[in-house]
Amino acid sequence: MTAPTLTASGLHLSFGGIRVLHDLDLEFRPGEITGLIGPNGAGKTSLFNCLTGAYRPEKGAILLGDRPLRGLPPAARAAHGIVRSFQTVALCPDLTVVENVMMGLARNHHAGWLDAFLPLPRGRRERAAMRTAATAALAEFGLVDAADRFPAQLPPGNQRLVEIARAIVGRPTVLLLDEPAAGLNDAETRDLTRVLQRLATPDLVMVVVEHDMDLVMGICDRIYVLNFGEFVACGTPAEVRTDPDVVRIYLGSDDD
Amino acid sequence: MSESIGLLHADKRSPADAMRLFGGPALRAALAVALLGLPLVVAPSWLFTLGICFANSLGVLSVSMLVRYGGEVSIGHSVFAAAGAYTVAILEVRFGVPLWISLPLAVAVGALLGMAFAWPSRRLSGIYLAVTTMALALALPEIINAADAWTGGYEGLYVAQALLPAAPMGLQRYYVALLLLFAGVYALARLRESRQGMALLLARSHPAAADAFGTRRTWARLSAMAISAGIAGAAGASMAYASATVSPSGFTLWTAIFLLVGSVVSVYGLTLGRALLGGAFLTLVPQMLASSGAWIPIFYGCALLAVILVGHYAPKLRSLVERRGRGRSAP
Repeated sequence: MTAPTLTASGLHLSFGGIRVLHDLDLEFRPGEITGLIGPNGAGKTSLFNCLTGAYRPEKGAILLGDRPLRGLPPAARAAHGIVRSFQTVALCPDLTVVENVMMGLARNHHAGWLDAFLPLPRGRRERAAMRTAATAALAEFGLVDAADRFPAQLPPGNQRLVEIARAIVGRPTVLLLDEPAAGLNDAETRDLTRVLQRLATPDLVMVVVEHDMDLVMGICDRIYVLNFGEFVACGTPAEVRTDPDVVRIYLGSDDD
Repeated sequence: MSESIGLLHADKRSPADAMRLFGGPALRAALAVALLGLPLVVAPSWLFTLGICFANSLGVLSVSMLVRYGGEVSIGHSVFAAAGAYTVAILEVRFGVPLWISLPLAVAVGALLGMAFAWPSRRLSGIYLAVTTMALALALPEIINAADAWTGGYEGLYVAQALLPAAPMGLQRYYVALLLLFAGVYALARLRESRQGMALLLARSHPAAADAFGTRRTWARLSAMAISAGIAGAAGASMAYASATVSPSGFTLWTAIFLLVGSVVSVYGLTLGRALLGGAFLTLVPQMLASSGAWIPIFYGCALLAVILVGHYAPKLRSLVERRGRGRSAP
């Protein structure tokens, strides 16, 4: 099934008079990996926060297909299949690695409170199914051996991969990855690249905020460039790479 | 307090370490069996004290549950315990309802009261929430006295109905309190493995991440408070049955503070051993110090300080000893 397109139009966001996003029009299509790049403070994470409902933009519309998302709280947007990873790894230290990944499936399961307190078959089946799916997601990143360890026992790069496993395990409609390669070594980045390319199917809208230009240019079908909350350029990696404005404000010019 | 909770959870421990910290399954089973067999070897007067100790342990467990899963501290859990205790007592005295029917109602009343409190205070946290819960505990005895037509006022109510008519009442009071404590520990162990329990833990440590995966913060706050207050309601019912009486003097601000103290002494533990440690500190230590006269508060304070310091430094001392042991055995 093809995922609906995620669009944002006329998006405005400011904090105490400081303009964070200004009149943004963006379209994220299924089957594509869309890159979102820009210098620090460009508004990339703020845009993610608007898309997931953590921030409420003052103006503008956000649509998932024909469905307006503006005004929906984050949990309701998660129920529509919009999930994200975080710039700073947000794993629960009290849950094991596999349990953290299982939380990516929570919205798809509905065992009740009695199942939570009593050893009823439905609760046991649910937990077993969640664990199986979470272990398969960890296997994508070669982390099955770490399943029963706690996040603090893993190196930072692996923690980030666990967070991405949590994001993808529930087969989301929209996947927003905030600096997924931060802190990864070369081998881990290659694993991540492979997984992201495999995920780029018509049933998923994928948006990646990333400072690793090799990764962005290598995997993205389209790239949006932001600067001070404004849209600067959009195009294929080849077009963005040669866009004079982008070269000047972000990638650096030959004169620098 | 939140920071110390964070530190408590941020230590780099493996599941095996965690098991060692809280006692392995064999140790827990041995403890449970020993408690079940204790009436065979102790004097009947001790059964009464131990029954109250188990009820207090369950109360301690309810406070620790809120700390662990909600990340919040309550100085008002005596209110939820009182709700459970008076539910059992009023239903028995006024309507002749036996414990096996009134107990689930006591849990439900506690949980509903917890939700009723959590909803308006859902955006409060830390010291602000703690002080708000304290306000409840302050007002409670007067509320109970004012409703004396139902509660018996200052004199309270007597809980006397046997659960099993043929069994000695002393033994019943002991075993009901003990089995309720077992049930509380078991239910919380199950909760830790459940989707809801994991969602609560994620919501406590990373609310934004929990939000992003479909767990609403309000749901998390209400759920943690309702479960905690429901267990406190069960603890109140247990206290009523184990002590045979319910009166306002059993549910003062001091009761709430000592439940919190017990929770701190147990290092917010949710296992049988940890809960018993907290409950024993509330029940058995004052009993042992009873002959000390005016020195009781001083000795109690010293004991409290000693237990907290041991709880704080024991893991560090253990790791130091282990490191030295490894250093000696290295070639």
